[in-house]
Amino acid sequence: MAAERILEVQGLGKRFGGLVALDGVSFHVDKGSIFSVIGPNGAGKTTLFSCLVGSQRPTTGSILFKGRELAGLRNDQVVELGLVRTHQIVRPFRDMTVADNVAVGSLFGSRHRRGADARVRVAAVLERAGLAARAGALARTLSIGDLKRLEIARALATEPDVLCLDEVMGGLNPSEIEGAMQLIRDIRASGVTVLMIEHHVHAVLGVSDRVLVLNFGKTIAEGPPQAALRDPAVVAAYLGDEAGGAAA
Amino acid sequence: MKGARAWMAVLAATLLLAPLLAERGTLNDLWNVAFAVVLASAWNLLGGFAGQISLGYSAFVGIGAYTTVLLADAGWNPWLTLPVAAALAVLFSVVVGLPTFRLRGPYFSIATIGVGEAVRVIASGMEFTGGSSGLRMPSADFHFLSNYYGMAVLALLTVGVMAYVRGQAFGLALSAIRQDIDAAEALGIPSTRYKLLAHALSAALVGTAGGLFAMNFQYISPGSVFDFRLSLSIVLMPIVGGIGTLVGPVLGAVLFSYLQIKLLASPTLRDSYLFIYGGLLMLVMLFEPHGMVGLWERLVQLGRRAGRPVAGAPRGG
Repeated sequence: MAAERILEVQGLGKRFGGLVALDGVSFHVDKGSIFSVIGPNGAGKTTLFSCLVGSQRPTTGSILFKGRELAGLRNDQVVELGLVRTHQIVRPFRDMTVADNVAVGSLFGSRHRRGADARVRVAAVLERAGLAARAGALARTLSIGDLKRLEIARALATEPDVLCLDEVMGGLNPSEIEGAMQLIRDIRASGVTVLMIEHHVHAVLGVSDRVLVLNFGKTIAEGPPQAALRDPAVVAAYLGDEAGGAAA
Repeated sequence: MKGARAWMAVLAATLLLAPLLAERGTLNDLWNVAFAVVLASAWNLLGGFAGQISLGYSAFVGIGAYTTVLLADAGWNPWLTLPVAAALAVLFSVVVGLPTFRLRGPYFSIATIGVGEAVRVIASGMEFTGGSSGLRMPSADFHFLSNYYGMAVLALLTVGVMAYVRGQAFGLALSAIRQDIDAAEALGIPSTRYKLLAHALSAALVGTAGGLFAMNFQYISPGSVFDFRLSLSIVLMPIVGGIGTLVGPVLGAVLFSYLQIKLLASPTLRDSYLFIYGGLLMLVMLFEPHGMVGLWERLVQLGRRAGRPVAGAPRGG
């Protein structure tokens, strides 16, 4: 089937002074798919997300989202169009309740914010993320697993078309990882396209439709997960060119 | 927030009923309290709710005061100058906010010191502002009691607006901006727009208070309304009282006005008030960052524990 391209990135580059964090990265994401970005530390994955949502301005290239150019827009404008990200290091509003944290996404990020049913939508998102029981708790009292769920719940509350997840499985134990993978599949099943950065190879193989591998800001492989991970360039990046290099 | 409502009722009753009971000297002191409540609570909207610590708020007092005097000199009824005073303060807040809100944390605060000082220097140097000797209101009718009620109503209005904002989406946005501005933007909050709104709303209230200040004192100069020490007091009151809370700025304002009245009455202490404010600030920072409100809550909790000395009793909500 010829899938619709919801996101199309062309020649994306980002420089910090003399450091090239992203160097001409191009890829596209099909609507309704799960697309993973992997690569060693410092490969430019998080910078890629920052450029997509507009918290950082790309130096070159274009980002077409539902046919609209995103490069140059502010983060809050991108969110309103339907592209939202989570942060690898969770950034809850610690002195707010869990419900208020989610309400921020629902009231400001969603295009349906005018509706008087914000509370209802917040309750539904909390239920979906498995946080309903903690709705009234201050975010500062949550465990790391719950904080990761809250980070996703807030982003979901903005009712995105594309959800960018930055290493949501880092620091979780195996059973929590199973739960997170199930949550990601559920999110896709609800019609949201998922773009995720992930270190956990098992999780990437388990849920992704396609994988983009970055190293030193450049694309070194792209394709279905099994094939991409077997690509010689990818093996070299992770294990070193010669045997005995440090494994990731 | 039942506690806050009770405090507000006490404030409203005191300010509105005092003219029936108290004599002129006490009412003068209460006018000062009401003035301080407006400044502290309005500053708290931007500084407390949104976490943007501005050290340049005397600029709004001064702009409001000068607007009122200049228009009254041109023959306006002083009361009708107040909306203009508020509007010019708002305009100035936007002009200043657009560049300075690009700065974060202490850099923003330092920039606002510069803005406040620049306005003072300009007011001291211009001819139409009367230079450093300032301006006098036209000697028309002076009604202390109307001035008193004007400031009392403005103080209650200010506190009411703050209570309202806190329960709205706007208040939630400011809180998100204070706690993590990047996360706030990542969830769709246009942070600069909301900071400008908070700045403008508080500038309108402070500018109006500046106009009322001119009406009551009849004489203004850069040294009285554009003074950096005024900016400093405006910051210290909410911090000592309890930054970001509803009641805190009011408590801080009451304490500061009381101290100022006592200190000004004593010739040996009249020049030492900044020293005492500084000491208070250090005590708050070191021992109770939530100010007098935090101290109060601690006492209440202590009292509760003392009244129910059951070992291992679960702590209620």
